[in-house]
Amino acid sequence: MAVPIVMPKQGQSVETCVIVGFSKKVGDAVALGDVIFSYETDKAAFELESECEGVLLGAFYGEGDDVACLSTVCVVGEPGEDIGPFRPDAPGGPDKGGGPATAETATDGGDGPAATAGPDRKAPPGGGGVPISPRARRLAEKAGVDYGGTVGTGPNGRIIERDIQALASAGRKATVGAAAAMAASAGSASGASYPGTGLGGRATIKDLEAAGAPGAAAEAAPGGDGDGGYAETRLSGARRIIASTMQRSLAEMAQLTLHASFDAGAVLGLRARIKAGGEAMGIGNVTLNDMVLYAVSRVLPRHGAMNSHLVGDSVRTFGKVHLGMAVDTPRGLLVPTVMDAGGLTLGMIAKAASELAAKARSGGISPDLLTGGTFTVSNLGVYGVEAFTPVINPPQVAILGVCGLTDKVRAASGGPGAAGLQTYPSMGLSLTFDHRAVDGAPAGRFLKDLCDALERFDLLLCM
Amino acid sequence: MAYDLLVIGGGPGGYHAAEKAALAGLKTMLATDGPVGGVCLNEGCIPTKALLYSAKVYEAAKGSAKYGVRVGGAELDHGAVIERKRKVVSALTGGVTRRLRKAGVTVAQGGAVIRGKAGGAFRAEVGGEAVEASSLIIATGSSPIMPRIEGLDRALGTGFAMTSSGMLESAAVPRRLVVVGGGVIGLEMASYYNSAGSEVFVVEALDHIAGFTDREISSMLMAEYERKGVRFLLKGTVTALGDGMVRYGLDGGAYELNADTVLMSVGRRPNVAGLGLESIGVETKGGRIPTDGRMRTNVSGAYAVGDVNGESMLAHTAYVEAEVAVDNILGVRRSVRYGAIPSVIYTNPEVAGCGETEESAAGKGMAVEVRKKPLAYNGRYMAESEGDPGLCKILLEKGTGRIVGVHMMGPYASEVIFGASAFMEMEMTGADVAGMVFPHPTVSEMIKETLER
Repeated sequence: MAVPIVMPKQGQSVETCVIVGFSKKVGDAVALGDVIFSYETDKAAFELESECEGVLLGAFYGEGDDVACLSTVCVVGEPGEDIGPFRPDAPGGPDKGGGPATAETATDGGDGPAATAGPDRKAPPGGGGVPISPRARRLAEKAGVDYGGTVGTGPNGRIIERDIQALASAGRKATVGAAAAMAASAGSASGASYPGTGLGGRATIKDLEAAGAPGAAAEAAPGGDGDGGYAETRLSGARRIIASTMQRSLAEMAQLTLHASFDAGAVLGLRARIKAGGEAMGIGNVTLNDMVLYAVSRVLPRHGAMNSHLVGDSVRTFGKVHLGMAVDTPRGLLVPTVMDAGGLTLGMIAKAASELAAKARSGGISPDLLTGGTFTVSNLGVYGVEAFTPVINPPQVAILGVCGLTDKVRAASGGPGAAGLQTYPSMGLSLTFDHRAVDGAPAGRFLKDLCDALERFDLLLCM
Repeated sequence: MAYDLLVIGGGPGGYHAAEKAALAGLKTMLATDGPVGGVCLNEGCIPTKALLYSAKVYEAAKGSAKYGVRVGGAELDHGAVIERKRKVVSALTGGVTRRLRKAGVTVAQGGAVIRGKAGGAFRAEVGGEAVEASSLIIATGSSPIMPRIEGLDRALGTGFAMTSSGMLESAAVPRRLVVVGGGVIGLEMASYYNSAGSEVFVVEALDHIAGFTDREISSMLMAEYERKGVRFLLKGTVTALGDGMVRYGLDGGAYELNADTVLMSVGRRPNVAGLGLESIGVETKGGRIPTDGRMRTNVSGAYAVGDVNGESMLAHTAYVEAEVAVDNILGVRRSVRYGAIPSVIYTNPEVAGCGETEESAAGKGMAVEVRKKPLAYNGRYMAESEGDPGLCKILLEKGTGRIVGVHMMGPYASEVIFGASAFMEMEMTGADVAGMVFPHPTVSEMIKETLER
């Protein structure tokens, strides 16, 4: 019997996934557990493993298609079976989500209440409390569209993706030809200068080319790896998200970074003891970063201003510490969240962090694990970085950069009799904060408390 | 007196700039040493159109039998044609004068000479009066080129040789007219005098007439006028003018031709002399004032629009350049787009074009697909024509399908071509335009017809 293979729903916030590629061609035999196609959300990549056997009878979408979750992507069955009824556009077919064009309207109605819940809901740029779908909001943020005062065409006036697309093209007047080029490059021409050089300030194809829009440039500059000696790679969905988030972060916030260092003797000593004898007591590997995470989770509640989101005109201060941890993955930076880190022991934090990092690196992490952070820790210490200016993950108001170990010298302590200098292992911390939300003194106090706590890590463990 | 803006020259570029600037609130002086309206209104675009329309009416009357209308004794009264032309010109120049006054422009009759720049303001002498202005628009236009031809000065003195301005005032129709230069002006005058009964010779130095016009269409136009009796001497060079005599070289030989009048129309040269440009250091290059897309010269605050910058020498180009110059003076950054400026030759049939020709596309290495169809496909044309030639040709960029050139020959071509300019400004494809609705039956439908296979 023919079995429809649907696009899985990866997490609550995911409405569509993009097909990265098919591993099977139509007509190929499919065995249990075979990968039929791979797909990605804007944050992670997955493979669809077959749960049935047969032959790939047909596929309704192709590589690069943005498919609504729970839509039928392809059908596996016996050769000769009719796949017509499974077509996304078939009348009375099993696919209640509809084709990709209507996907958003179809899935949007249901998640109305969810839009206002959860700590990671971002404020619309100038949009106030306008009802908008997450997908439309993402596009609006990406394209820099101000949708304040707009009534959408979705249920109950909710703004959905096509409304933002319409706003984007109206705000960015373009010649007919340039508009077509923009549509072909899925709106990634937003970098074109405004106003354009065309009639009435319209963007022309030349303007788009100047802005490096892929759709327009593809015609003008074929063969990126030719004479120029460079390879041109289209940004992945994940990379585009990172790009726009980082850009927005630096563009919208008043960020500055404080640098401090602490005597890492205590944490190094503890780590050595865990290494030597932890296993016997059932304690797994605990890294210096885990200890910093632990220290942050304990110190941060006393500095609520740092454990906040700045949303529009208000600051949301969180009671619990949900720690984002920056992870370097082959797909780029991902920031999974250790939820309620303040309620976890050091061992539990170490375990959670190691599991999250592994999932993020494999690409198969649920997008739900990538949201909800209230504060982020980023670690470049392994590369010998001595200080840096980490970029805040909006709408958070601060991020802690963890730097490498260096040997420092200081005047020997121990009373008037002690003389000369002594060396000690020092670790640097770089705290970037949003000066719109927090002033320098409270940020400095937090950093000092954090250094003190790390220097007395044994006492901290009592918390 | 101190002004925000001094505009030198009263033609389309000058008067349009002055009116726009004054309406935007700039205290503006327009200095002109001739009547307002410049060449366009007084001795160019408008008066020639008046003449050519009279010729068209006369031709229609003569050929009316083909349409089932019997008209006896149709005659062209050249004196009356010239008189009507005067009325048209006078009405239009009067209109421009009123508009300038209404906008609050100070119009100063008399040549302007730039004297220098002091304290951020340009100093100039206008009709003997000292004037200061923060910005300057040079719109002094152009004059007919007088090539080195033996006896030309004398012939101009006796009236044997004339420019188009002189011809437009002349009450006589020459029995034989030799037109030196087969460009737009030469062809329009040849067309009128051909209708008016002159025996017309056109001596053209190139191997084709009508300058940069699509070569296929210029060949068709030449064939049509040869049919009407005009003789074309291509690759011919006039070497000397004597009493009622024109000597020209052709294919290595030297020939003489008797003539009553010689029209000098080999081209036009920007007017840059005697303006005092050197006093403020405005650069000239090849006899013109080079400008950037925003109409700026090399001197900050000094702009040059219209024929004087040598960019395109069309009145409608001067209009847009004037608007752009004024916008930039007002702080609105804007540039002229020269790619979609239409051009028209008001012969009968009319020739109109916009964008690349097959020749210019090849010169730029552009790969184009040419779509063309004779006007015989068109209902309106068939209803109103009797064997007149007509063609529509559209160039599509290969790969993108975008319209990069439209060229037409036939009735109403001059009125249809603005659409081509719009298509190109909007960077539309052939498919985009083929999807539009054109009124039926009109000659404009040829555009859609030509795009459909």
